[in-house]
Amino acid sequence: MNLRDCHNFYDFRELAKKKLPSPIFHYIDGAADDEITYRRNTNAFNDVDLVPNVLRGVENVDLSVTIFGKKLDLPFYCAPTALQRLFHYDGERAVGKAAQKFNTMFGVSALATVSVEEISSIIDTPKMFQFYFHKDRGLNDSCLERAKAAKFDVMALTVDTITGGNRERDLKTGFTSPPKLTLSSLYSFATKPMWGINYLTKGKFELPHLQDYVKEGTSTNTSIGNYFSTMLDQSMNWNDAEKLCSQWGGHFALKGVMSVEDAKKAVDIGCTGIMVSNHGGRQLDGSRSPFDQLAEIVDAVGDKIDVICEGGFQRGTHMLKALSIGAKACSGGRLYLYALAAAGQAGVERALNQYRLEIERGMKLMGCTKISELSRNNLRFRKK
Amino acid sequence: MNLSDCHNFDDFRILAKKKLPSPIFHYIDGGSDDEITLNRNTSSFNDYDLIPSVLNDVSNVDMSTTVLGEKIDFPLFPAATAMHKLYHHEGERASAKAVEKVGTIFGLSTMSTVSIEEIATINKGPKLFQLYIHKDRGLTDNLLERCKKAGFTSMCLTVDTVVAGNRERDRRTGFTTPPKLTLGSLLSFALHPGWTINHLIHEKFKLANIIHMTQKGTSIDKSVIDYINEQFDPAMNWKDAEYCVKKWNGPFALKGVMSVEDAKKAIDIGCTAIMISNHGGRQLDGSRAPLDQLSEIVDAVGDKIEVILDGGARRGTHVLKALCLGAKACSFGKGYLFALAAGGQKGVEKILENMKAEINRDMKLMGCRNLKELNRSKIIYRKN
Ligand SMILES: Cc1cc2nc3c(=O)[nH]c(=O)nc-3n(C[C@H](O)[C@H](O)[C@H](O)COP(=O)(O)O)c2cc1C
Ligand SMILES: Cc1cc2nc3c(=O)[nH]c(=O)nc-3n(C[C@H](O)[C@H](O)[C@H](O)COP(=O)(O)O)c2cc1C
Repeated sequence: MNLRDCHNFYDFRELAKKKLPSPIFHYIDGAADDEITYRRNTNAFNDVDLVPNVLRGVENVDLSVTIFGKKLDLPFYCAPTALQRLFHYDGERAVGKAAQKFNTMFGVSALATVSVEEISSIIDTPKMFQFYFHKDRGLNDSCLERAKAAKFDVMALTVDTITGGNRERDLKTGFTSPPKLTLSSLYSFATKPMWGINYLTKGKFELPHLQDYVKEGTSTNTSIGNYFSTMLDQSMNWNDAEKLCSQWGGHFALKGVMSVEDAKKAVDIGCTGIMVSNHGGRQLDGSRSPFDQLAEIVDAVGDKIDVICEGGFQRGTHMLKALSIGAKACSGGRLYLYALAAAGQAGVERALNQYRLEIERGMKLMGCTKISELSRNNLRFRKK
Repeated sequence: MNLSDCHNFDDFRILAKKKLPSPIFHYIDGGSDDEITLNRNTSSFNDYDLIPSVLNDVSNVDMSTTVLGEKIDFPLFPAATAMHKLYHHEGERASAKAVEKVGTIFGLSTMSTVSIEEIATINKGPKLFQLYIHKDRGLTDNLLERCKKAGFTSMCLTVDTVVAGNRERDRRTGFTTPPKLTLGSLLSFALHPGWTINHLIHEKFKLANIIHMTQKGTSIDKSVIDYINEQFDPAMNWKDAEYCVKKWNGPFALKGVMSVEDAKKAIDIGCTAIMISNHGGRQLDGSRAPLDQLSEIVDAVGDKIEVILDGGARRGTHVLKALCLGAKACSFGKGYLFALAAGGQKGVEKILENMKAEINRDMKLMGCRNLKELNRSKIIYRKN
C-alpha cells in the first residue's frame, strides 16, 4: 500500500498505521477513556440527512469562506496539533506548505516542533497560533510576542486542556515525547526502521516555543498528560482569557467552548471566534460532540462571532452538514495527521485535495454553488 | 445454488455474486462514500410498522394502478439502469422481455446496451426512457425523437447525476466499461469463466443509444465516473428540463427529486410524476432515504403529481409501506439486476413474480382489497 492507494480518510489511517511505530500511531488515533466521545464526534453526522435540490446549474462551485477576516479557498482548515515531527520528519513544514497550496488556514500548536519564525518564513497564507496558558508567565508572554512578530493572523487559546485527558492507549503503549524506548515499544520501533532512521537523522527533535523556558518538553522524556498537568495553569479563568485577548490585540478565539453560556462570555471578552470542540475526544470522554452541540451555539452567538465546528470530520459531506447548520468553517486534526504520517507534504496535499473534491462534488449534488447557499432547510434530523 | 433456490433479494444477490466477476458485482452492489445512504434506503422501511385490519373478505385483490398514463398489474416497476449486457450477455433484451410478461413498465437507460428501436420490437408494453442530458445537446433531441418514434410511453429525466458519486468500490476493483483486464481484476474474470466467455463470444459491448454521437464509453475503456463527469452537463437547469417536457409532450417524470421545493417546480414545468430517489445510494452519501422523505413530499404535492418511491425496496411489505405513506408506486434497481445476472430473462421474471406474489399476499394480510385502501391509518412510525 502506498499514497496512490489512499482514496479516503480510512486509507490514510491505514497507511499511517503501517508507517508509524505503534505508540505514535495510537497517540494520534487514540482518545480519552472509552473513546465514546471520539466515536460520537463522527457518528453524529449520520443522524442527519441531506435533502438536495436539483436542476440548479452547478458547473462552477465556489468553496471559499471568510473567517477571522481572512478569505480561505476551502471551508475547512488544519487544526493545530502537537509534535508533528514525530509523525513525519518534515512535521509542521509539510503541513504548512500543503495548507498554503490550498490557501487555507494553518494552525500551529504551542507544542509545535518547528518555530513560528520558520513557519512564517515558509508560508504567507493565513496562520493561527494555538496557545496554552502556562504557569510560567514569561513563557506565555514570549509565545504571544513571537507569534505577533511572526505575523500570525489569529491567536487561539485552548481552554479544554486544563488537565490531561485519560488517554489509556498512551498508558498502554508508554507514549512519551520524545519517544522513549521501553521494552514494549522497542519492538514496534524496530519494525518501522524508516521512521526511526528519519527521526534520528533529519534534525533534532525540539519544542521551539517552550525550550528556552523548560526542560520538560525537550530533553527529558515526558508524557503529554504530564506536561498538561505540571506546566499548565489550572487557575486559568475568564479574566486571564480577557487579558490575553487584549494583549494580543488581533483576532482571538477560544478553542474548546461547548456551552452557550461560555460562548456568550467569549463574545463579551472580545473574542472574534470560537471552536466548538472537545479536542477530538481526547479530553473529557462523554462530552457532547461538536456537531450535536453546534446548532445551539450558532443560534446564540452565530451572528456575533465566527463559530467553527471542530472534530470528527472524515468526509466532505460531514462538512456540508456542519456548514448547513451554520458553522463558518470546519476544522480537523486527524483528517490531515494520518496523511502527514503516511507521506509528508505530498500526503497532506493529497488529503486536502481529496476533501476539496468531496466537498465540491457534494455541493454539486446538493445543487449549491456557494457555501452560503447551504442551510438548515436542506437537513432533516432522523426521528428519535 | 441456482435460480430455483432464489426466493428473495438476498438469494438473487448471492447467486449474482457467484456468477459475476467481482468488479461488475461491486458496480451493482456498491454505493457512494461510506454507503450510509445506501444502507438507510432499505433500513428506513424497518422503522415503520404496518397495522392490518381483519375479516375484510380478501378473496379478490386488485393490485393494479395507473402510473405515467399506463395501467400496470402491480405497483412496482424496474427503474432504468445502465449497461445490462455487463450483467448478462442478452442484456436489456432479457429484462425487457421479462417485464412485458409480468405486466409492468420497462425502464430503459440512456446508457443501455440495446437500442431504443430494438427494445420497441421486443416489448410491446408500457416503456419509459430514462434521459441523461449530455453536454452535446443535439443528443437530447435525437433521443427524444427516437423514443417518440419507437413508441415509448413515457420519458424520465434523471437530475441527481450532474457529477458522478464517489463509488469507492469501483475505484478499488478498477471497474471500467467495457471491462478492462487489469492485473487486479484478471483473477476475478478468470474465476467466472461463464460470464467471461459469454461476454467475449456475443456481440461487441457498446452503448447502443449514443454510440453514433460519441466515441466515449464505446471503444475506449472508461470508468463510468469519467464518463459522467466528461459527458453529462452540470449546467443543466429547470429551463432544460422544461424544454424536454415540452418537446416530449407526453407523460414525463423527474427522477431524483428530494425537496418539496423542487417537487413543486416539477409541477410548474408540467411533469406527470416525480421519482423520490437518491439513485440507490450511489450519488450523494448522507442524503436522505426516499422513504424518510416521502411523507413530506406527499403532503405538499401528492394531490397534484404522481409520487414514485425509488430505491431501497426489497420486499412486498416495503412497497406496501410506501403506498401507505402516499406513493403511487415503487421502482427498484439492484433487485432485478441481480436477478438478471443470476438467470437472464428467467431471473428477472422470477424476481418480479416473487415481488408480485409478496405484494398480493401482504395485501391480504393487511385486509386490503385494492391499493386505495392502503393509507396512513395503516402505518405507524416506530420511535426507537
Ligand atoms: C495528535 C493530536 C495532537 C493534538 N495536539 C493539539 C494541541 O497541541 N493543541 C490543541 O489545542 N489541540 C490539539 N489537538 C486537538 C486538535 O486541535 C483538534 O481539536 C482535534 O484533532 C479535532 O478532532 P479530529 O482529530 O477528529 O479532527 C490535537 C489532536 C491530535 C489528534
Ligand atoms: C447498476 C446500476 C446502474 C444504474 N444505472 C442508472 C442509469 O443509467 N440511469 C438512472 O437514472 N439510474 C440508474 N441507476 C439507479 C436506478 O435507476 C435506481 O434509482 C436505483 O437502483 C434504485 O435503488 P435500488 O437499487 O435500491 O432499488 C442505476 C442503478 C444501478 C444499481
